[in-house]
Amino acid sequence: MSQSEIQFTFDDKTISALSGQSVGAALLAANQRSLRKTRFNKDKRGIFCGIGVCFDCLVVIDGITNQRACIIEAKPGMKVQTQDGSNA
Amino acid sequence: MKNPDAIVIGAGVVGACTALSLSNAGLSVLVIDRGPVASGTTGAGEGNILVSDKEPSPELTLAIRSRNAWFEIDTDIGGGFELEAKGGVVVSRSTKGISDLKKLASLQKENGVETIELDASTLQEAEPFISKDVNYGVLYPGDAQCQPMLAAAQIIRAVKKRGGQFIQGENVIKINSNAGSIVGLTTDKNTYSTPIIINATGTWAGEVAKLAGSYLPIMPRRGYILVTSPAPKLINHKVYDADYVANVASGEADLQSSAVIEGTASGTILIGASRERVGFKNDLNIAILRQLARQAISLFPVLTNIQLLRAYRGFRPYAPDHLPVIGEDANVLGLWHAAGHEGAGIGLAPATGELITAQITGNVPFMDPMPFSPKRFKGGEHVAV
Amino acid sequence: MHNVVIVGGGPAGLSAALAAAAAGAPVLLIDSNSRLGGQYWRNSVSELENQNEQHFDLATGLLLINAVKARKEIEVWSEAQIWSATNNEGKNTLRVIHQGKEKIVNTANLILCTGAYDRTLPFPGWDIPGVMTPGGVQSLLKGHGVLAGKQVVVAGTGPFLLPVAAGVIKAGGEIVSLIEANKSRRWLTSIIVILENLSKLKEAFYYIKTISQGKVRAQFGYAVIAAHAADNGELESVDIAKIDRNFKVKKVKNIKCDVAAIGWGFTADTSLAGSLGCKQVVAKDESVVVWVDSEQQTNIPGVFAAGEITGIGGSELSMAEGVIAGIAAAKFVGCKVDVLKAHRKRRAKRQRFANALIKAYPIKAGWQLWPNDQTTICRCEEVSLGDLKFSVEELGATDSRTAKLFTRCGMGLCQGRICGRSVVDLVAKELNVLPTDIDRISAVNRPIITPIPLGVLAQGE
Repeated sequence: MSQSEIQFTFDDKTISALSGQSVGAALLAANQRSLRKTRFNKDKRGIFCGIGVCFDCLVVIDGITNQRACIIEAKPGMKVQTQDGSNA
Repeated sequence: MKNPDAIVIGAGVVGACTALSLSNAGLSVLVIDRGPVASGTTGAGEGNILVSDKEPSPELTLAIRSRNAWFEIDTDIGGGFELEAKGGVVVSRSTKGISDLKKLASLQKENGVETIELDASTLQEAEPFISKDVNYGVLYPGDAQCQPMLAAAQIIRAVKKRGGQFIQGENVIKINSNAGSIVGLTTDKNTYSTPIIINATGTWAGEVAKLAGSYLPIMPRRGYILVTSPAPKLINHKVYDADYVANVASGEADLQSSAVIEGTASGTILIGASRERVGFKNDLNIAILRQLARQAISLFPVLTNIQLLRAYRGFRPYAPDHLPVIGEDANVLGLWHAAGHEGAGIGLAPATGELITAQITGNVPFMDPMPFSPKRFKGGEHVAV
Repeated sequence: MHNVVIVGGGPAGLSAALAAAAAGAPVLLIDSNSRLGGQYWRNSVSELENQNEQHFDLATGLLLINAVKARKEIEVWSEAQIWSATNNEGKNTLRVIHQGKEKIVNTANLILCTGAYDRTLPFPGWDIPGVMTPGGVQSLLKGHGVLAGKQVVVAGTGPFLLPVAAGVIKAGGEIVSLIEANKSRRWLTSIIVILENLSKLKEAFYYIKTISQGKVRAQFGYAVIAAHAADNGELESVDIAKIDRNFKVKKVKNIKCDVAAIGWGFTADTSLAGSLGCKQVVAKDESVVVWVDSEQQTNIPGVFAAGEITGIGGSELSMAEGVIAGIAAAKFVGCKVDVLKAHRKRRAKRQRFANALIKAYPIKAGWQLWPNDQTTICRCEEVSLGDLKFSVEELGATDSRTAKLFTRCGMGLCQGRICGRSVVDLVAKELNVLPTDIDRISAVNRPIITPIPLGVLAQGE
């Protein structure tokens, strides 16, 4: 049982993921630790709890904000972007 | 402070503003609440400071002065409660609604409210994400917004700095009078002497009036607010359906709702508004949440993918004629009521404080306070103490 | 016969599902993850042998998962999130988002097995990308096959740190520091507990062997008290302090790392139970848990609870509780079945072990001195300790609920799941009082359990 590779974009980069991996896991594997900037202080945040509880790993996926990268499965052709504050 | 010049019962926004007003007029003021600041209706408020939703009437006069007073308070105490001159946009999509709105706006304009009519294209400029089927609206630059809990807390803080006192966690159990005049009150912990008591207890104002042997018909009207996750800036003003105004005056117990939507400084979007007469029932009515969501999406389709994060409910205190109660008690001298502001408590709080203070200190109030007098409740029971 | 509805597909939920089905009750199992197993048995689609290497008893988990999948009396909804749950005169209504649509489940009979998540403590820099929880590092590894970093610090307290460290080593990462805040001798002093739980010792030795093979020595009486970012704003190093038994800092040294997995036990996720109106109480470890009777029934007839939400106690206790809840629930819907003495004995034995662990890995108040006024306490709303102090000192907040209203602490997307417990302690400290049970329980009040798109909310019935 081997896993097939899929690809999605993160900002202007192409990221490879194994099928079944979350967007957050694939980004971390590609050395992308920062996923967003906070609304007020513009601090960088990445994966913290890793299980969908903390809502820190927020990214924009296909135009929709506040998506938790650690629990959303990467799908081929997904357009993922850094979430800057709460703006898309 | 065992013998203050005045005691304010209730540390919500109305009690706080009244205490500030009295304090600024030179009285020593004690504020007592059985809970923390803003633990009543104020803690569930949206923060509306509106001039747009009132017909020319004493209440509109009160609202106009109060709105300006908020900005004076902001300067006076150094801010800290997110006051914003945001402006409101009232829209309508029906022929009758539009014609009623036009009439109302022109009457309001004659009475000192700034109004700007918006057609389809200027409306789109003011609110780019509003539904394309909305073709008419009125912009009210005077409508404003604040964070009500912070407002009450910052005002109480200022009152304390100016020599006033706030006691939290004491429950008033008796209001004491002698020969028909207030001499003080007793809580579950202490007794205080004072010739002046202000009842600013909102939904509990009727119960407190009873403690003094008097009567005040105040009832609760439940309302929900939806709060979204932090979202991009989609909505520039407070935006409401013209129905909102009609809603307030209705006496029906059934659920009534209309769309009231705005963004906040923190990025969340607040969605109201509903009104039900269900006493103090505390349950979560999912049907109302759905209705509010539907109305909001109808006005702003872009909200479809924005998430609901939490919902909260509050109980607006209202009198049978839907006017606030501001003035001296019908039966007991020295007992003043400042309650029953329904959904306009935050907006009307400063002017309420000013009217009470003027009458107590014998100065000329900025308007005739008669329409708000508690003496208007004929047929009330005078319960002997 | 009515269905038994079970929420949560971890050790408790899987056990309950199998027990109820075996007793003759059809089961609907609602789980929010894409794969059954909960947090404890995180697994992925990758090769089986690799997974067994990562996990000591995944074999047990896979056994239960496959058994559940094989039984046609058990219907499973995966990736199903409950956003609201209300109880009205004996009827429980669950509003579930499944496959993009809302589904309403009405049931008189419900078993809640919603589990727990890592408990975290705030310290300067804990919000820097690269600081994670042990559960997060574990999930990335076991669920997604990704090693979170190359130079890993594992810290905090509790036996969970061991498998996390072992997992990192087996995956080829370097553990630059493995530190436990408490001294490990404490639970070993209970002879009964050791004798009853020899398999646990075996498990511990398995991890210890792995860790020593990785040339790592665990240090006891140490904690991470600060994290530092590189110029790019990402984790570069942490400060590790020798601490006394009250967690007060004695000596500090700095260690370079790219990931810090820091966990302080677990917090039960009782949102669903609370939303329904189940009675909640404060446990010995100060976590808020759901009250249940000896048959795992809550104060609401027909609503049962099992696993970590009835008290943090590990996977084996969860399984024992799940079995009892499944049998009791089946009995509730009319199956001729009863909880046996053997079931109760097993649960009692595992409860003793869980109690011993709680005693062995306490969290002492000295942590409250690690954050400074600039430290973020509420991560979602970026509220600092200074903001919280201001709300108490200047604005007059006298409890955590009011402090929350003044600062927005706990009002963000996670609705206080991460910061709630810490805020209760920190506000009480400012006020010089002890936190009350009411403070703790009100901090977990969440009528809207998970965010729901307004469009989905609008379309539902």
